[in-house]
Amino acid sequence: MNERKQNPIKRILSTRGMGGALTAFAGLIAIYIAFGIINPTVFSGQNIMNLLRSMSKYLLIGIGQSYILITGNIDLSIGSVAGMSAMISATLMTRGVHPVAAILIALVCCLVIGVLNGLLVGKWKLPPFIATLGTMFVARGVAYIVNFNRNTDAIASGIGKEAADAFGNFFYYGSTLGIYNTFWIAIVLFVVFFFLLSKTRTGRHIYAIGSNADAAKLSGVSVLATTTKAYLVSAFCSCVVGLILCGQAGMGNMEAGNMYEMYGVAAGVIGGVSPLGGTGILLGTLAGAAVWQTLENGLNMIGAQVGIQRLVIGIIVVGAVFLDVVIRNGAYRKKTVKRGSAPKAD
Amino acid sequence: MNDVIVSMKEICKAFPGVKALDHVSFELRSGEVMALLGENGAGKSTLMKVLSGVYQRDEGELEIFGKQYGDLTPKLAQEVGVAIIHQELNMCRHLSVAENIFLGREKRHGIALANSEMEAEARRILDELKIDLDPRQVVGELPVSKQQMVEIAKALSTNARVLIMDEPTSALTAREIDDLFRIIRELKEKGCGIVYISHRLEELQHIVDRVTIMRDGQYITRMDFQDTSLDEIIAYMVGREIKEKFPRVSCEKGKKIFEVKDLNAGRMVRDVSFSLYEGEIVGFAGLMGAGRTETTRAIFGVDAKDSGQIFLDGAEVAIRRPLDAIQAGIVLAPEDRKKDGLCTKLSIRQNIALPNLDFLCNRFGVVRRDKEDEVCARAVEDLKIKTPNVETDAANLSGGNQQKVVVGKWLARNSRVVIFDEPTRGIDVAAKVEIYHLMNRLKQQGIAVMFVSSEMPEVMGIADRIVVMCDGRVTGELSAQEATQEKILSLATQFEKKIAI
Ligand SMILES: Nc1ncnc2c1ncn2[C@@H]1O[C@H](COP(=O)(O)OP(=O)(O)OP(=O)(O)O)[C@@H](O)[C@H]1O
Ligand SMILES: [Mg+2]
Repeated sequence: MNERKQNPIKRILSTRGMGGALTAFAGLIAIYIAFGIINPTVFSGQNIMNLLRSMSKYLLIGIGQSYILITGNIDLSIGSVAGMSAMISATLMTRGVHPVAAILIALVCCLVIGVLNGLLVGKWKLPPFIATLGTMFVARGVAYIVNFNRNTDAIASGIGKEAADAFGNFFYYGSTLGIYNTFWIAIVLFVVFFFLLSKTRTGRHIYAIGSNADAAKLSGVSVLATTTKAYLVSAFCSCVVGLILCGQAGMGNMEAGNMYEMYGVAAGVIGGVSPLGGTGILLGTLAGAAVWQTLENGLNMIGAQVGIQRLVIGIIVVGAVFLDVVIRNGAYRKKTVKRGSAPKAD
Repeated sequence: MNDVIVSMKEICKAFPGVKALDHVSFELRSGEVMALLGENGAGKSTLMKVLSGVYQRDEGELEIFGKQYGDLTPKLAQEVGVAIIHQELNMCRHLSVAENIFLGREKRHGIALANSEMEAEARRILDELKIDLDPRQVVGELPVSKQQMVEIAKALSTNARVLIMDEPTSALTAREIDDLFRIIRELKEKGCGIVYISHRLEELQHIVDRVTIMRDGQYITRMDFQDTSLDEIIAYMVGREIKEKFPRVSCEKGKKIFEVKDLNAGRMVRDVSFSLYEGEIVGFAGLMGAGRTETTRAIFGVDAKDSGQIFLDGAEVAIRRPLDAIQAGIVLAPEDRKKDGLCTKLSIRQNIALPNLDFLCNRFGVVRRDKEDEVCARAVEDLKIKTPNVETDAANLSGGNQQKVVVGKWLARNSRVVIFDEPTRGIDVAAKVEIYHLMNRLKQQGIAVMFVSSEMPEVMGIADRIVVMCDGRVTGELSAQEATQEKILSLATQFEKKIAI
């Protein structure tokens, strides 16, 4: 049979899930330009920098949630885990614990929740919606308890101003090569997790169990291990977001990360990740997170009220998925019609 | 050569309420094709799932290549050299052909997947099997028969020396079946042992060396295929003799009940016209992909019609959705039972009651349990559905028994037209005969029966009139008397001449 040599650009364009991602990028550009026309400061360098920084949180959350959505599950605990990470690290630092140690302890706690989610869903087969609803409350509960139901004081009160500034700069205020560190963190993690999902065995198994868990299992894929790995990725990303929130505020807020799990779903779904599992790529999530943030930022800049912002964002999310469904159904119909003509006279 | 490579002794396996395997013994030699035969629910698939590590046995010994094994997992079984093609398709629809073939044993460079290597390897395997497929194509876009070929390629790619095929041909076209048999013969030469499960007993003569027969979870006998006859095999399977494989009752042909005129729906249903009369079964023959299923779907209102008229008892009926059809008295037992025929998470009772809730409920919309019981009991009894009770999940029934539930749910209604789309796929001989009897009964009651089947012997054996389709068009009509395999086949391959550009 003929070796099909495709040119690399064509090959990239034909990657599965690329369609959804490209649509989201196109939407992003359109939205951005539209806002820019109404208010040209949207195009200013400083605004772009701010945009990239605030988008980073959504990107990380989106990566975590996309991993879970692709396995065909959902993670409702993301926002609470972020809150837990912020509160644990902040509380420790106000008690004078070294930032690095505080970060590591927060990370371990978050990963415990990830493993728990993995076991509940992958081993004991709880419906993911219920399992992670439970861990969502548990994690939020921990966030409240660690500092006895109060927000923490400024972390500088424990580790000193210098260390607190270093912490804040590393996660939020500082910049490297003219770009905020927050964005660098998000991009580095994006690259790592992009690679993990698209190029490694674990990634392949994540798609496989989302597509057909039974088939994957019968092929020797460990559903438990794969599910747990996905929930670990999500917990890890949530932890980093919690640290960013802590760095930004300079203290721990018990409500940090509220509703973030849903922002993660939105970022993924706008970018073409199917909540039914098996499809979607992180490039789409990147575009989705950017669309989300651009909308928020743009609506702010043109002076829309919060109520209007919510309303518009809601419509965009449903609209994006609606379009996707319509397009896919169209494409599907064409295909089924075509396939019938397959048998040729022998 | 011909040493025993698999030996299973006194295997037991119970599910809640069912003893699926009751001290079953089984052996397989290298270089042979062993047919594993039995009625629906006899435990064939369960036994093979034990051998391939999907289920853990409760009791018994398992020896593969002279080595005893305790608990097997799918992965361990694969490493030992056992591969299985499951009865139900097990593909990840969103992944490509190559990705499915290598699922669970991906090749890697370091930690990165070696995609191009796997694609090349997949292409090599497909070429070797002469399967014309692009390894990069997404499996969900392929027709079922091609998906089945991917499944086969996947099993072969593990270099298994024990290969289990659980009804591999039920979704294949004639040509692909020939390919499969060629592949099986080649594997036999190489010394592989093959377990072959099928309800199409005519196939056996082409490939089988020995047969093992099971009934009701028990081992019955094992014999050389040459020393036996199909009748003997059937008698062992069923526990009694089956006199007539194709029972035929003659009825007076009455008035016209149902007519389809110039029906068009998409590419696969083009200008289809036919009529059904009282007191006859009309068979629809053709190759796979001839548009017969699409025709039934368009009539039933599942797919949109582009044009055409449907008449019932002389009056035109407008069918825009299945509910219209059901209310008019037209019902469909669809081809793909898992997808279209059953709610697999619901019990048998709920499945049978579902389309009949209109008359099973009292006027406040509360389901009347007594009526429901009655309807279910009758379906289970009429069709001999093998199940501990009607509360069993439909998913846990053996394939053939699932099919019976699909048919059973329509029997409680007073219908005018009953459409059967491949009703005997995956069903054992005895149950097939029951389904034929059922169609005959409907025919005697004056109900029009439309019977789509790709198996020519049964169409010729049961139908009073045969409509042949090819490529979305009706290409001919034959009476039962004049029909021969050759005539049907020539009509079934009457493709339109494509105009050369
Ligand atoms: N997962 C399960 N849970 C409960 N019961 C089961 C399960 N799998 C199979 N059974 C039951 O075990 C018995 C044997 O089923 P099995 O699928 O092995 O039959 P089979 O011989 O392969 O039939 P068929 O020819 O219809 O495929 C049946 O009564 C079936 O209902
Ligand atoms: Mg079976």
